[in-house]
Amino acid sequence: MQELKRKYVIPGDKIVDGNFRPLMNVIRIGDSIISTRIGIAEAGRDGIKVIPLSGVYIPRINDIVIGKIVDRSSLSWDVDINSCFSAHLPAQDVFGRDFSPARDDMNRELATGDLITARIIAFDRTRDPMISVQDRDLGKIPRGESLKISATRVPRLIGKRGSMIQTIEQATQTRVIIGQNGVVVVTGRSQGGIELAVKAIKMVEEEAHTSNLTQRIKVLLNVPDTTPAQPQLSQSTSSPVPAAMSAKASKDISEVSPTKSALQSAPNDIQQPVRKEQQSQDQEEQEQQLSSRHHLGQERATLSSSDSSPSSSSPPSADAISLPSSHSKSRSQDERGRKSDDQRSVAGVTGGDTRKAKTYVKGVHEGLQEHDKKEANS
Amino acid sequence: MSQTRSLIDKQGKRTDGRTVEQLREVKMTVGVVKNADGSVFIEFGKNKIIVAVYGPREVHPKHMAQPDRCVLRCRYHMSPFSTDTRKNPAPSRREVEISKVMREALEPALMLEDYPRAAIDVYVEVLQADGGSRCAGISAASVALADAGINMRDLVAACAAGKVDDKIVLDINDTEDKEGGADMPVAYMPHLDEVTLLQLDGILTRDQFNQCFDTAVEGCKMVYEIQKQALMQKYFGNETEVKEEVQ
Repeated sequence: MQELKRKYVIPGDKIVDGNFRPLMNVIRIGDSIISTRIGIAEAGRDGIKVIPLSGVYIPRINDIVIGKIVDRSSLSWDVDINSCFSAHLPAQDVFGRDFSPARDDMNRELATGDLITARIIAFDRTRDPMISVQDRDLGKIPRGESLKISATRVPRLIGKRGSMIQTIEQATQTRVIIGQNGVVVVTGRSQGGIELAVKAIKMVEEEAHTSNLTQRIKVLLNVPDTTPAQPQLSQSTSSPVPAAMSAKASKDISEVSPTKSALQSAPNDIQQPVRKEQQSQDQEEQEQQLSSRHHLGQERATLSSSDSSPSSSSPPSADAISLPSSHSKSRSQDERGRKSDDQRSVAGVTGGDTRKAKTYVKGVHEGLQEHDKKEANS
Repeated sequence: MSQTRSLIDKQGKRTDGRTVEQLREVKMTVGVVKNADGSVFIEFGKNKIIVAVYGPREVHPKHMAQPDRCVLRCRYHMSPFSTDTRKNPAPSRREVEISKVMREALEPALMLEDYPRAAIDVYVEVLQADGGSRCAGISAASVALADAGINMRDLVAACAAGKVDDKIVLDINDTEDKEGGADMPVAYMPHLDEVTLLQLDGILTRDQFNQCFDTAVEGCKMVYEIQKQALMQKYFGNETEVKEEVQ
């Protein structure tokens, strides 16, 4: 297997002969592993997989998606999640278990046309996806400009260690929320900044497969072409995952916050679900290494305290957007510590979710690894 | 289907100057329809066809949805200006039939069970017709489906062979189709070595049939190389191998 590392494939191409495990977008026919998509074939220790370069979004459990409310029934909302399946958001998820269709006005919380950030909590071949907004940072997106990109481009838009999206955010003074389904919402104070960010995002989508893209984005955004501040990897984690990513965002999987807080949150409080999602997944891996979920909260707290990433996920107040000041950094660290404490109490309860999240880790990681390699090539 | 005039000259050249085993010039461009999930523009000799693929997407009307698999819907349509005399744009018997055989030619290559309760729509719009448009349409549709990112076991390449002047010739054109002795369109999955479409219009002996079939399959393999090149060009440019990064 050593001779096969990465290879461009189209459907029907034989990737390798032999007794390897088919992982993703490949099938076994006879003694051969055959690709079923256009993409880059990779042979790993686990088996053979193909990272696809095209395709629509197919929901997966624990994906964070951005959806649009398209309809409502007496007990749930129908949400367009940019897929061939429309998602259901049960009213009980928003109102609590004592929801009463007679008493509660669903339109008061979410009206048709609203954009929401949500997590897919259930999906299989037999039924449409069910989503939830019961997490911090999930819920209604109060404002912003939305656009759709191909779901296969999402890892590229995020970039290695979040580099691409950080570059765009910092240069345009905007916040970008990315759904795993390819829906992106850009918010910011200046219309010019939003437009520039949208232009950059579209450029990333169109030229995702080309090398040296980060440099071209910097040229587009007039960012001085200096070596970006490297996230400090001072953390002594043995994980292959970058520290900057693992450190942030200890929250998304199981932390429960009332939806109202999301609904009432100012645009500044909009955070980045996907990036956090990834980060939490990184933590999941670390958790695997530690193989002790009871220490989850503490571990996360430890990670959080050593975060020094330039674009923290703290609430982006004006100064935080422009440049990360030490003040904002320390504040975000405090917050993360607090979140971790919260999470520690919840993690045990929703252990099932954390386990499921591991399946999701692969998709993003594959994308990131692909990106890493491209970057290295360039 | 009796032939009235000779379609192959003394030098062995056909009406359009090709030899008996020569394919018409084939050109494919991937990703020409922005709104579609996958699309291809194919020029197969004088045939000009646009194929657009949408999906997997929600099935409307809902009762058409299958609980265990995806529905593949195919629409072959000739534009009114695609032939020398105006063609009525309403779906003709021939178009309905070709839509059906195209769907059946593509279905074995698709992993439809991966997308239950969804639908994939394939629109094949013939802008200019010159014989062999169903083969060109199938070849282009297969590439468009791959472009749309739908799981496939293999690409489907299609090419016709036929009998002209009692000789088996590859890729018959409009004149040969109308005036020749036989026309045999074949769709073929090259890696799986399976045939997904085999039609025959005309009369062939057993030997001629075998020879004609083998010729058509060879043509399919040539078309496959062009399909592969078109897809590679769209996604990977001129690179053929992934450059390994320096550690």
